[in-house]
Amino acid sequence: MNYDAIIAGSGPAGSVTARFAAESGAKVLVIERRAEVGVPVLCGEGISRKIDDWDMVTGDRWIAGRMDGARIYSPDKTCVTIGAEQAGNETGYVIYRDIFDQELARHAIKAGAEYMMNTQATGLIKEGDKIVGIIAKYFDEKLKFEADIIVGADGVDSKIGHWAGIETRLDPKDLETCAQYTLENIDIKDAYCEFYLGKEIAPGGYVWVFPKGKGIANVGIGILASLSESGMAKKLLENFIEKDPRLKKGIPIRFLAGAVPVSNPIETVLDNIILVGDAARHVDPLTGGGLTHCLEGGKIAGEVIGKAVKQKDFSQEFLSEYETRWKEAFGQKIKRNYLFKELLLDMDDKTLNHIAYALKDKKFDEISTHGLVKEVANELPISTKFKALLKHGSKIKEIKNQ
Amino acid sequence: MGKPKAKVDINKCLACCGCISVCPQDAVNWFGGKAFVNDEKCISCAICIRTCPVGAISGEVY
Ligand SMILES: Cc1cc2nc3c(=O)[nH]c(=O)nc-3n(C[C@H](O)[C@H](O)[C@H](O)COP(=O)(O)OP(=O)(O)OC[C@H]3O[C@@H](n4cnc5c(N)ncnc54)[C@H](O)[C@@H]3O)c2cc1C
Ligand code: SF4
Ligand code: SF4
Repeated sequence: MNYDAIIAGSGPAGSVTARFAAESGAKVLVIERRAEVGVPVLCGEGISRKIDDWDMVTGDRWIAGRMDGARIYSPDKTCVTIGAEQAGNETGYVIYRDIFDQELARHAIKAGAEYMMNTQATGLIKEGDKIVGIIAKYFDEKLKFEADIIVGADGVDSKIGHWAGIETRLDPKDLETCAQYTLENIDIKDAYCEFYLGKEIAPGGYVWVFPKGKGIANVGIGILASLSESGMAKKLLENFIEKDPRLKKGIPIRFLAGAVPVSNPIETVLDNIILVGDAARHVDPLTGGGLTHCLEGGKIAGEVIGKAVKQKDFSQEFLSEYETRWKEAFGQKIKRNYLFKELLLDMDDKTLNHIAYALKDKKFDEISTHGLVKEVANELPISTKFKALLKHGSKIKEIKNQ
Repeated sequence: MGKPKAKVDINKCLACCGCISVCPQDAVNWFGGKAFVNDEKCISCAICIRTCPVGAISGEVY
């Protein structure tokens, strides 16, 4: 079977890439090892309202709740608020991720992309050094597909890049290991996404509470794998829920485990190869949010694939337009927030409390980490700045300048 | 006898793929919605055991 592009993975990155490649005339197949697009959900389901401007998901079936803002709590529960205080000016959504992913797939299929479920990529077909296709397993059947471009949209545990020769293995200090309960019957009335920081609460990460309306919320935790012990994420999350009177009586209707890459981005193009989404490490290393980058990056990848098919040029050089454009779109932000993640890791609870206290009356009117990161960099106590300078050189200056 | 290899309890595994992503030996793979360790590749480093958010992997942790 012959295609212009085969995309491994039907998550947001894969489906958006498929859509824009198909719209620009490419013959596209998406293969997915799972049995259903978007299922099971492995996500906190928070997303910025930025996506309204992109018009990639239509209708509102995928929206669970509209958010008025966010609250970030330091270890002693000092609160920094981000958000539009005026009603009706929401800053983001909590979504139904399964419906969201299925909407993105529907748009790809409408544009002409084919999908094959229960189909796991197991290797690349090479002629000499050249990658000419992909080997897959469909239940017990072994299948071979030829294609000019193979797209790795295969998530955090991506193998496509690895098979093609890109280092994709994640250092434990660059992976957040996560657990999340979706709780019914909780006592949260307002529409704020909450984040809780602290070494005892979530080492190297945070606990989140994302309300979905109707007394339901996603309550999850991410901790750095390098600071984790077996089963720790689940235990710390249960401790947190037990101590919060609003959540304590909640009845779990879903429990999930997840993993989020929080690394610097890697090489994303080779001859005949493109990586997108988590596979490309396109997650914001500070927040662990990856959805908006999947949409932005996937669109660019799809458009570049379309051009490559027209020009019949699948070389790394031609495909590097994708890398140039995603770097322009969000490359700086990932680099800056990676530095910031490392800086945050060095701060003790006392420093976090001090910073939260200094910022608690400031108004941040948009959920953008940029403004917040700059303010935090300003508020760092001299001792932290000094330590950071010794350890990381001029990181703080870099963060402030970017 | 070497150190015991990592072993995934498939009743506990929720397929988060964390262990697959951090294994330095490419010894863990996804199979039918669960993680499986390839004994021949595993060097018993225990990185996957520490990473697992739900404690589904056994072996020895040093
Ligand atoms: C617990 C948790 C909470 C999160 N919360 C948020 C949040 O609130 N907001 C946010 O923006 N981001 C969040 N993220 C990050 C976000 O979920 C990811 O960035 C996003 O899912 C990445 O999309 P993707 O398309 O790159 O990969 P995925 O959605 O992971 O899709 C990859 C797909 O590829 C398939 N696949 C893998 N290997 C193969 C193969 N060999 N053959 C065929 N198919 C294969 C997988 O089955 C999967 O369906 C969270 C992540 C986790 C784990
Ligand atoms: S880390 Fe644990 S839950 Fe996640 S895939 Fe591995 S064994 Fe399963
Ligand atoms: S113990 Fe180490 S080598 Fe073995 S599967 Fe786990 S991470 Fe891989």
